[in-house]
Amino acid sequence: MNWSNLWVASYETLLMTIISTILAYLVGLPLGILLYMTSKNGICKNKFINIPLGIIVNIMRSIPCLLLIILLMPLTRSIFGTGSGKWFTMIVPLFFSSFAFISRMVESSLNEVDGGVIEMARSMGASNNQIIFKVLLKEAKPSLILGVAISMISILGYTAFAYDLGAGGLIAQAYSFYTRHTMDFYKYPNVWIIIVLIVVIVQLIQEGSILLNKKIDKRRKAK
Amino acid sequence: MSKIEIKNLSKSFSNKKVLDNISITVEEKDIYGILGLSGAGKSTLVRCINGLETFDKGEIYFNNELLCSPTKKIDRLKRRRIAMIFQSFNLLSQRNVLGNVELALEINGDKENKKEKALTALSKVGLKEKAYSYPSELSGGQCQRVAIARALSLNPEVLLCDEATSALDPETSLSILNLLKKLNKEYGLTIIMISHQMNAIESICSKVAIIDKSKIVEQGELSDVFLNPKTEIAKQLIYSDHVKTMLDNNKMIRLLFNGNLDEPIIANIVQDCSILVSIVYADTKVIDSKMYGQVVIKLPSSKEDIKKLEKYLKLHKVNYEEVNK
Repeated sequence: MNWSNLWVASYETLLMTIISTILAYLVGLPLGILLYMTSKNGICKNKFINIPLGIIVNIMRSIPCLLLIILLMPLTRSIFGTGSGKWFTMIVPLFFSSFAFISRMVESSLNEVDGGVIEMARSMGASNNQIIFKVLLKEAKPSLILGVAISMISILGYTAFAYDLGAGGLIAQAYSFYTRHTMDFYKYPNVWIIIVLIVVIVQLIQEGSILLNKKIDKRRKAK
Repeated sequence: MSKIEIKNLSKSFSNKKVLDNISITVEEKDIYGILGLSGAGKSTLVRCINGLETFDKGEIYFNNELLCSPTKKIDRLKRRRIAMIFQSFNLLSQRNVLGNVELALEINGDKENKKEKALTALSKVGLKEKAYSYPSELSGGQCQRVAIARALSLNPEVLLCDEATSALDPETSLSILNLLKKLNKEYGLTIIMISHQMNAIESICSKVAIIDKSKIVEQGELSDVFLNPKTEIAKQLIYSDHVKTMLDNNKMIRLLFNGNLDEPIIANIVQDCSILVSIVYADTKVIDSKMYGQVVIKLPSSKEDIKKLEKYLKLHKVNYEEVNK
């Protein structure tokens, strides 16, 4: 059993996941806000923005990650100098396969915000920016945090495709046991250690987000 | 001076007219009630006043200056002079009470001493000690008080109340109405209040307009409209439907108290005409320390007694009408 290999794989997985999530949110969050604002019931209803944007988002969501890895190979190469073989080359396809999904997550969190408080802000003469930053994001924060956890966990799942790029990571390692030993792969303890590690990571993200959500959500009675 | 003047306002949603040629003048320091059934258009009307809704025809004036029209958008500075409270309070759940009041100041770029200003507004509604609580820890009545404090923090001249007490139980509702009355008296706040509940309107309003099917059907001093409702809808809103359910074969009459009767009229009927009347329904209110209201009595069975009663009522100038089935 090679512990240092496992350690490297773990941090590659975590870095891929975290950096891709952050980058995807940098695009997905504003995109989600735009989708929400321009939607039929939004504050600045605009079907000429909303419909094309919605279509693009849906297309991005439906391209399989594996296909994106191949399609984006030239882009990855131009950014990192190499198209594969290193963990960070996975960031490009992970980003492209998740920001559209994230924008929908954000949109649905914003949809949960009570329309009454938006009307209240409008009645006070709030600008759209004020409504977004002082009302919408603030009210949706607990739900947005749960969304981050869901997004992160699904990005973690996508890191499995790192195997195809030779980009490393935990899941790719487990997968390599399968390709080498086919149906005997479960006899190798490393495979089980990897599975346990992934379960622990998923648990940490999920429980952590629930804890954070509980801590910041003021809708529950403070004890 | 007229504070808010709505002139010939009309609005349609697609092909349906929701407001039809509405004109209302609200004087300074008035508490003006707009009464109507749900869907009558009253909520849309009040939203036109602060620019939440646009309209197709007409003008709204504020302090005799044009506030908004189909071609003129409401001015941001004037808008902050007109505050609004809602049926569902519309507090931010993620901000504490103080933060909710401060929001109004932040939105209007009033950052100086915002904490003190917010606390002052909270003390006006008697909730200063709850400044650091969150809305989820407050009762409905307290939430509405926070919403009122938020509205007051900008020192508005007009307060629009959109069914502000409809979600509250009668007792809490009364305390909110009393608070509004106090704000009107102490700070000269002009209040426009819409409601589908007659008792909310009649307990604090001095004037009332009744809206039915997008039109104003009756309008004037509360006591006039209340005492002499002319239209079917006004009668329906003012005399609750208790009476109808209690009707049996006997004829009944409704005695109307218009504020100038100072004698125990029912007792006198019994004593002076020696007729035994039974009261079916009674609903009286004190408005400006005068008694208003109605008492529905079952008519005696003998024709002679009925004549005697009619004579007596005419003599004592008691208004009455027959209750139709």
